[in-house]
Amino acid sequence: MKPFLCLLVVASALPAQISFDTLKDAQQDAGSWLGYGKNYAGWRHSALTQINRENVARLTPQWVYQTGSSGRLQATPLVHDGVMYLTGPSNTAFALDLKTGAEIWRYARKVPPGAQGCCSDPNRGFAMLGDRLFKVNFEGTLVALDSKTGREIWETEIADYRQGFSATNAPLIVKDMVITGIAGAEFGTRDFIDAYSAETGERVWRFWTIPEPGQPGGDTWEGDTWKRGGGSSWITGTYDPELNLVYWGTGNPGPDMDGDVRPGDNLYTCSVVALDADTGELRWHFQFTPHDVHDWDAVADPVLVDVMVDGKQTKAVIQANRNGFFYALDRVSGKFLFARPYTEISWADGIGMDGRPILIPGREPTEEGNEACPGLGGGHNWQATSFSPETGLYYFQTTDGCHIYYKTRQGYIEGQWYQGSTVSGVPHQPQTGSIVAIDPGNGDIRWRFEMVSTPSAGILSTGGKLVFSGDPQGYVFALDAESGEALWRFPAGGSVRGSPISYELEGKQYVATAAGGSMFVFGLPEE
Amino acid sequence: MSRAILALLVCGVASAQDNPFRDSAEDIDVARGAFRIYCSPCHGIGAQGGRGPDLTLGVYTAGETDRDLYEVIADGVTGSEMPGYGERMNSDSIWRMVAYVRSVANPDTTPASGSADAGRRLYAENGCAGCHQVAGDGGRLGPELTRIGRSRSLDYLREALVAPDDEITAGYRTVEVITLAGEKIAGVEKSLTNFSAVLMDAGEKLHSFDRTELSSSERTTRSLMPSYEASLTGARLDDMLAYLRSLRGEKESE
Repeated sequence: MKPFLCLLVVASALPAQISFDTLKDAQQDAGSWLGYGKNYAGWRHSALTQINRENVARLTPQWVYQTGSSGRLQATPLVHDGVMYLTGPSNTAFALDLKTGAEIWRYARKVPPGAQGCCSDPNRGFAMLGDRLFKVNFEGTLVALDSKTGREIWETEIADYRQGFSATNAPLIVKDMVITGIAGAEFGTRDFIDAYSAETGERVWRFWTIPEPGQPGGDTWEGDTWKRGGGSSWITGTYDPELNLVYWGTGNPGPDMDGDVRPGDNLYTCSVVALDADTGELRWHFQFTPHDVHDWDAVADPVLVDVMVDGKQTKAVIQANRNGFFYALDRVSGKFLFARPYTEISWADGIGMDGRPILIPGREPTEEGNEACPGLGGGHNWQATSFSPETGLYYFQTTDGCHIYYKTRQGYIEGQWYQGSTVSGVPHQPQTGSIVAIDPGNGDIRWRFEMVSTPSAGILSTGGKLVFSGDPQGYVFALDAESGEALWRFPAGGSVRGSPISYELEGKQYVATAAGGSMFVFGLPEE
Repeated sequence: MSRAILALLVCGVASAQDNPFRDSAEDIDVARGAFRIYCSPCHGIGAQGGRGPDLTLGVYTAGETDRDLYEVIADGVTGSEMPGYGERMNSDSIWRMVAYVRSVANPDTTPASGSADAGRRLYAENGCAGCHQVAGDGGRLGPELTRIGRSRSLDYLREALVAPDDEITAGYRTVEVITLAGEKIAGVEKSLTNFSAVLMDAGEKLHSFDRTELSSSERTTRSLMPSYEASLTGARLDDMLAYLRSLRGEKESE
């Protein structure tokens, strides 16, 4: 009897392991943060209310963890059972004690010389299942780590960095699979979305974001241009358990700005694809920017909301696209519902009933340079967004302004830049930015928090009717979720490029966000 | 061990060889694409300069040989804003870039027609040293000019004198604020954020504000540098240009 009792005691002390069911119910677990978008719908909303509009002005740092990294953190940390799991740039990761910020373990893996991406070597976070953590490494591998030790359990090569591939996104767990994207469109790669066995690391399925000749969509490429067609998948998708569909955004075609070498719509670039979670088969797709020449990736969070559209309750997937339009699609069928501009746009005179942009001629990049709005990074780029079921509003940041786009004919060399040119600023018109609150049912902008420069950070909304974000000058701040009024700010001294989260420990609510190479945790002072 | 030896050998070969891509139009074109991505934010879309030196002048501060240029691109330049690209670009890509940089060089051999000595006097008379430093002497509000004759063309310098608002050097943007008490202050932007503003006025005094203390704070398209279009004309402008051209970071020009 005694040994049995002892076992019981041990068993009750074990933390609850994260299962697929746990992840499906993640929105109800306000104390934790178990996945990139918090829940499968990508809401990034914490129901916690302890920190609210009345007391947020008193928010103070509780601890700071300095990774020692020279790069900037871009991750969404995960929080589970008293531990924060954080990934850093250059293949680093950290497990931190939630109460003290003390480091429990550290993971580091040298980035091989020659591995390169468009934009340094960031990482955007872990996924978690059972007692394992999953992350991509920059050189295009996926690793499973023991959450207790940080020790590698398995490693799988997703793609060969020598061909120009790189990996930066947080993976997505669906059932017993780890789903991940890849980057490389600036290097003339042909990209994809993959699912791997969480147990063994073996690949379960692959969806090529660029179809071959003879496949549906293959006729949107000419000759062998599909082989260098890009279509990166570098931000985490979302998942609808009822429909068993994975929604994932894809990036630009390659080469980015020289569209002359790749006539056609260039499917499935700049699209959202809905994939059967078990097989990776394409159920539907929607292309936001056919034949893109401005690098307007569609990788931004495809957020799942049920909203009234034209008086009808609709299962929608919404996206603040980099091309300057906010879109709502029927997430069952992929049918276009509506699109509305949220920033200055000079390339299209709206979106037609068929979902295709009504192009304004003469806005394409040229050798001499040609102005178009929005600029290269959008509009809204990749930074995480938030939907609050309490205010019914969708929050995202946007860069407001234009760029001069240049086109350069460029030969392809494996593993080398293949962007077909670049942008420069418009003289005397520096880009600014804003955080926008939009009604996802009709695209009406409810409020706009104007910023002096281009934004950098993701967004969290909370049950305390607050929106948290940060800026590249190092401020972490909180806005009133209903009015956009700034209620609190803290100068963290490093560009805020990650995405804030909120969680609870011992009955107290915290907000955590990275700034520079450090993790900051904020809470209310003790009474 | 064997890898280390191999790396040394490769390094030795690279340092001894001529640039293998020097005359290859195709490789130069590849590098032009990469230049536009990596380098144009500072050196300009056509290498004409901006935040960084004008590379079309064919004058290189950190060494003139191909190997010097290779090392500048790979390792950066200590004490300057030029970073190293050795981790992002492989050896071939760097050599291609060296070939591209050489291909855009079109040395400005036009002699400055004015008198550098007369220009030096004009520089003093017009109070330029109030804002600009040359070899350690002068103010710190505007860009340092110690090597300006190496890094900028005569055309650029002429425009900077007569139409300074057309292009404000990066890091010298003007901010104007009005305090709640109505005081208007203009200065070089040291920091303008969503919540604060720090600027240096013409007297090199730093002003720091929480933006709640200000009724307005905005970047302007006006440079704090006055235009000399009316006061420096004809031979006087040529003299000033001759003086600026003579500022090459060498002792005799100080």
